[in-house]
Order: sequence, then C-alpha cells, then structure tokens
Amino acid sequence: MSVPVADPVDDDLWSAIGDPTRRRMLDLLLVDGHGTATTLSQQMSVTRQGVAKHLGVLDRAGLVRATTAGREKLYRVDDAQLARAVAQLSSVGAAWDARLQRIKRIAEAIQRNRQE
Amino acid sequence: METGSIEREIYVEASPEVVFEVVSSPEHLKQWWPDDARYGTEPGSSGEIVFGDRDAGGTVVALTVVETRPPVMFSFRWTHPAGETAAEGNSLLVTFDLAPSGAGTLLKMTETGFREMGWEVAVLEEQYRDHVSGWDFYLPRLVSYAAKLAVRP
Repeated sequence: MSVPVADPVDDDLWSAIGDPTRRRMLDLLLVDGHGTATTLSQQMSVTRQGVAKHLGVLDRAGLVRATTAGREKLYRVDDAQLARAVAQLSSVGAAWDARLQRIKRIAEAIQRNRQE
Repeated sequence: METGSIEREIYVEASPEVVFEVVSSPEHLKQWWPDDARYGTEPGSSGEIVFGDRDAGGTVVALTVVETRPPVMFSFRWTHPAGETAAEGNSLLVTFDLAPSGAGTLLKMTETGFREMGWEVAVLEEQYRDHVSGWDFYLPRLVSYAAKLAVRP
C-alpha cells in the first residue's frame, strides 16, 4: 500500500479554495465570466484592497488568470484548475464510499457469526 | 456550488445494534478506516486515529466523540489541532444515523465542515486515497451491476 506524499501545488490549491470569501469571488467570476478587483469589491462587502489580496492568492493557485485591461487587471476563472479542485473533493466522497462498504462487510459478517 | 458536506447512505444486512458497534467502537473503526484508533466512546471523550505507523512517519489525527445514542446515532469531530477543543470551525463533523429497515439497517453518513475550516483535510484524504482503489471499491459496483442484470427479463 503506497502512501504518496502531499503535492505542494495541491496544498496551495486547497488553501486558496478553502476560504469562503475566495469561493464567493470564484462564484461571482463564474457568473459574470470575468471581473476586476473593483467590480468584485462592489458586489461584496470587502474592500478593493482585500479583494486584490484574495485575487493574488487565487492567481498563485492557478484558479484565476489575469489579463491587463486599461488600468486594472481583468480576472477569469481557470476552468481546468477549478475542475481539478472539484475532482479532489469528489475523491473525499469516494473515500467515504469505500469506508461504508467496509462497514457493511464487517457488520454483515458479525451478524452472520451471531446467527450461526 | 455546495461543497461543504458529503452525504452517503447504505443498506446493511445487520441489526442497528451491530452496525452501531461497527461505526463507533475504536476496535472496529480501525478495521474500516485508520490503521490505529484510540478514544473513549463517551460524549466529549478525546483521542486519536493514526494513518500509517505512529512511530514511522504516520499521521496522527485528533478525534472527539460528540454524541452517542445507541443504536440510532453516533457523531464525532476529527482533524482539530492537537490540544484544541473540537468545535465548529476547527474540525469536520461526522454523523452516523441508523434506522431499522426490513431485516437490516439503513446507515446514513454525513460529513460537514469543509466550508468552515478550509479544505486542508481533503489533502490529507488525498494522501490516503489508496484506500479507495482496489477491489473493495470496485466489487460493490460490480455487485450492483450484476443485480441490475439479474432483474432484466
């Protein structure tokens, strides 16, 4: 049974998406298609400076991509990286599926033994 | 995108008493999840579960029993930092609900807290994902597939 070491890239990804404010920002970017620190701060109760800081974290994790539009950076969600994050969470669900199957097997074996 | 909780349900051909024992006792827990488990089963009892070898780079994770109502409900928190009291925001809450169903038990599992604490735990889960692969993951699917085939005219 191999125990792979945690990938540091994934650590960044998870902490980036682990924050509720940043997930709200991702939601807004997904709905609008794109946004800037200014448009996002107008839609949320977060200062423009705060939003810019969060965007930096998302950018470093590869969850958003920036292009320069005039004075401000325009951000879009990186679909592939977001899909990767979502897939990792579904793996948590898959881990529970496997655990529940084991619970089922163990409980049913105990039940059979008691009936014999 | 609701990603804060995971819910699963499974039918077990065993009495709620037996299923309760399997989901709550440390002796059984380590058969279906970690490599080692040490905790008291009274509400508020703290302990730990260990993935891998405790003395050889294994991961020790805190676990605290929240509520226990044999044979209908068992819940615990895990992943809180060692020494901290388990609470909303620093841990994941796992709840098992058991209901008699026919000759067996309908077992429902809910894990919540991902939104509150960040997803570091998912990284931990990812590390031990090897538990998922292999026959014990694919066999049940094969069984339900076979059952579907069997009911065809």
